[in-house]
Amino acid sequence: MKLRALVVDDEVYARRSLEAMLDGTGALEVVGSCANAVEALQAIRAQAPDVVFLDIQMPKVNGFELLSMIDQEVMPHVVFVTAFDAYAVKAFEENALDYLLKPVERARLDRTIEKLRRSVDQGKPPVYDSPVLERIPCAGPKSVRLVDVAEIEQVRCSAAGVYVVTPRGEYLTDLTMRVLETKTELERCHRQYLVNARHIEEILRPEPRGAVLRMRSGREVPVSRRYFVALRRRLGLRGDAT
Amino acid sequence: MKLLFVLVEAMSFCLLVAYAYSKSPAFRPLRPDALRWRDRLFLLGFFGALSITGTYLGLPVRGAIANTRAIGPVLAGILGGPLLGGAVGLAGGLHRLALGGFTAFACGLSTTVEGLVGGLVHLYVVRRSGPERVFDPKVVFATTFAAEALQMAIILLVARPYQDAVALVRVIALPMMAANSAGAAFFMSILRDRMKMVDRVGAASGARALRIAERSLGHLTKGLDREGAREIARIIHEETGVGAVAITDTEQVLAFVGEGSDHHRAGAPIASEWTRRAIAASEVTFVDGMDEPYRCALSKDCPLRSVLVVPLHVAGDVVGTVKLYEPASKRFLESNRSLGEGLTSLLSGQLVRARYQEQKSLLVMAELKLARAQVNPHFLFNALNTVMAMLEDGSRPRALLAHLSSFFRKNLKRVDELSTLREELEHVSAYLEIEKARFEDRLSVEVDVDPTLLEVRVPTFTLQPLVENAIKHGISDMLAPGTARIHAYRQDGAACIDVEDDAGAYEERRRGGDGLGLQIVEKRLRILLGREAGLAISCTPGELTRVSIRVPAPTPAPAATAARAAS
Repeated sequence: MKLRALVVDDEVYARRSLEAMLDGTGALEVVGSCANAVEALQAIRAQAPDVVFLDIQMPKVNGFELLSMIDQEVMPHVVFVTAFDAYAVKAFEENALDYLLKPVERARLDRTIEKLRRSVDQGKPPVYDSPVLERIPCAGPKSVRLVDVAEIEQVRCSAAGVYVVTPRGEYLTDLTMRVLETKTELERCHRQYLVNARHIEEILRPEPRGAVLRMRSGREVPVSRRYFVALRRRLGLRGDAT
Repeated sequence: MKLLFVLVEAMSFCLLVAYAYSKSPAFRPLRPDALRWRDRLFLLGFFGALSITGTYLGLPVRGAIANTRAIGPVLAGILGGPLLGGAVGLAGGLHRLALGGFTAFACGLSTTVEGLVGGLVHLYVVRRSGPERVFDPKVVFATTFAAEALQMAIILLVARPYQDAVALVRVIALPMMAANSAGAAFFMSILRDRMKMVDRVGAASGARALRIAERSLGHLTKGLDREGAREIARIIHEETGVGAVAITDTEQVLAFVGEGSDHHRAGAPIASEWTRRAIAASEVTFVDGMDEPYRCALSKDCPLRSVLVVPLHVAGDVVGTVKLYEPASKRFLESNRSLGEGLTSLLSGQLVRARYQEQKSLLVMAELKLARAQVNPHFLFNALNTVMAMLEDGSRPRALLAHLSSFFRKNLKRVDELSTLREELEHVSAYLEIEKARFEDRLSVEVDVDPTLLEVRVPTFTLQPLVENAIKHGISDMLAPGTARIHAYRQDGAACIDVEDDAGAYEERRRGGDGLGLQIVEKRLRILLGREAGLAISCTPGELTRVSIRVPAPTPAPAATAARAAS
């Protein structure tokens, strides 16, 4: 069975030529190609490809940041593709990431595919050590807006999607709750909420079933019993819930 | 008793002479350890005359003369050594010998010996305590006292009949020893005070010059601009207390501080013929206000009457002047005149250093920039990748390689400091073709240039870095397609060239260390095209970044032709 591949590069010719090359190997099926990280995030969720060929230098969100934004549930194998850059190569080697240099050589690509094949056959989901996120891409009125994590007061999820809430407004994001919880300093306080401890003004109505947080903006965020103890400990308060 | 009065009188005369001498223009501080022959001759004449006068002012006593003859030789000896002391003593002694009397020979001999004694003390003191010590009145007193005692001994030994000599010495010994010693000591003390005063005046103006130098330091690091000139003029005015101070470049007044500033204004063209003369001849010009009064070219009521104009030099060229003025009510002090000249050479030095520093850093940056422009590996790699990615696409790779080769060839060929806008646009268009291919659907370019500006001169490599910034830090970081725009037009007699992108990411770019490239462009504009050239940046975040260059533009050719036809 062919591996399902996604190509992500902001340069159209680079994309086309890599697509053609991957097709030419006969081992891969290109299921999509994206011009930036935001498109890629949606495509990964929709297509769940086995492997993503990922450019580093891209507008707004680079390849490394994109890696941090992918939910572990749909985490594909990732092969970085970059033009000559000694610094990037060093980073790949240190983190045992697979990479290809542009222009891509066929022989080198074949070796990479072999390796990919083996990993996929072993059936172990790939785990990458990726950096903490500082900016979260959100849908703005016209374009993509990057929201600083420090500015985020809470994250709320509903049937419509995941909303990032700042004192200035609410924005829809493609990142999952789990990614936001693991890759940022935001704390889980409820099945449907994450909260930024720095924005908490006070804890209201501690009760057996949890509590309510009042934020500096005046908004309120519920805390469920399950997360209350951990949150109190995190805030430096006593752990007992009475 | 009368004897003592006469001697005091004679001594007073000596002191009068000393005082007059110390005040005369002939007075110069002496360095006892390094006398020149001219000084020695002068001292010989001076102290010889003093010695002879001492004899004449003396009082005949028992066939001899009680006198203050010894002061001259002893002082000459102490100041100039045994040779000078001996010579003065000999002159005084020979004169005394010629006058006759039973002590004539004894006195003539002893005067010479006294000069020698002074000289020996000179040698001893200089070796023992340094040349300054010979001015010590105590040393002089002791020496003269000893010398006079020796004279008395010689009279007793040499003069005959012995009884007369004894009688004489008994009368004159104490008064003469006292009067001569005191006279010599006072004489020296007058000389010393006067020398100290000269030193102090010198030290005071030296200290003033140093203070001005220290305070003015740093105001000229940017070269001769108005801001620095105003500060320095203010400092000189404060420190020297002259009526007014002006600093000019070669065309206009950069700063004016002090009396008459109502009509002498910064920014005005140079009106004074003396300043123009000083600049043209590269010479210090001084109008003392007496033989030749300074006449203000601007106002009849100008209070200023004398002026010193000192040119400022950088690398042999006059770049401006410093002017010190005094009003009619004040004399132009000699010390201010020399101070003004000294200061100007100091300021010239600072200007030279400022220019050197600026050129050095510019050179380094320009070299860096050129190296970067000539071989930018990232640019080359990206371009080659694009070409290879396109290879299946028929004729496009060939065209792209042609642009690439043209871009690098132009980089190498462009060695002149200045290029025409046409050349800059050609260079940039090769660059843009490659970037357009690389970003294809995401980059569009608009060029809108007033054709009469194509021959306007700009520093080589001005446009390319701006366009590169617009793409690299602007459009390539946009998720949506972007547009780069080059717009050249005339405005207020200058050419404006705007390079815009619609990313509006300048603030972020600056944080990313993008400032250096623009700084280099701006510096080169100023250095190569002068004050009228410049660079301005405006940014609306998320919408537009615009870098505007302004360069002098001659009137367009058709208009010039029309004007000629009309006249």
